[in-house]
Amino acid sequence: MSATVRIIDGALGNPAPALPPAAQFGAAIVFDGVVRADEGGRTIRALAYEVYEPMASNMLTELGREMLAKHGLVAIMVEHSRGEVPVGQRSFRLTVHALHRAEALAAVGEFIDRMKRDVPIWKTALDEAPMAS
Amino acid sequence: MVFRVLIFGSLARELSCVSIAVDVPDNASVRDVNEALAACHPHKATFFRGARLAVNHSFRSADALLRAGDEIALVELVGGG
Repeated sequence: MSATVRIIDGALGNPAPALPPAAQFGAAIVFDGVVRADEGGRTIRALAYEVYEPMASNMLTELGREMLAKHGLVAIMVEHSRGEVPVGQRSFRLTVHALHRAEALAAVGEFIDRMKRDVPIWKTALDEAPMAS
Repeated sequence: MVFRVLIFGSLARELSCVSIAVDVPDNASVRDVNEALAACHPHKATFFRGARLAVNHSFRSADALLRAGDEIALVELVGGG
């Protein structure tokens, strides 16, 4: 079982290859969080993320380990952006491997809920630049 | 003891600063810092009294005692992902 956390400057790239040997899991979920153009009814160009380190990484790692134990996962990997991420780009990725889909799906939902509630990461919407007249 | 409590996100923008200085007695607790923050910003006193404070990157109970040099951060209104 493994829990891996990476904080990455700017938008995330393509998903990393599967972590454990394929024979160890029957379910693999890759959840990507993408920056929407609409934030609370206004059009934005990007989100800017503030990450309080090392507390954020420590908490994400602890949360990942808790999900491993509680849901019997094979592996969990967390990637989160720091700094500016333009609309349409990925800012968060949670990769979960488990023996079966039920525990993988449950772990994804619980991890994200708790991250949004507890982990010291803040986001700020950056508005579209005003049109030149 | 004087501490500079780190603040982030929308709260930092609202108050136009990235930290709030508070002066508390020696052997002060986390609760004392919450109260000092509330006294600094009475219009947000309820928020500051209930705010979660991290000390040296870990959450502490309200009764936990502080030492000079501790790093204190206000961890509220978070929203990663």
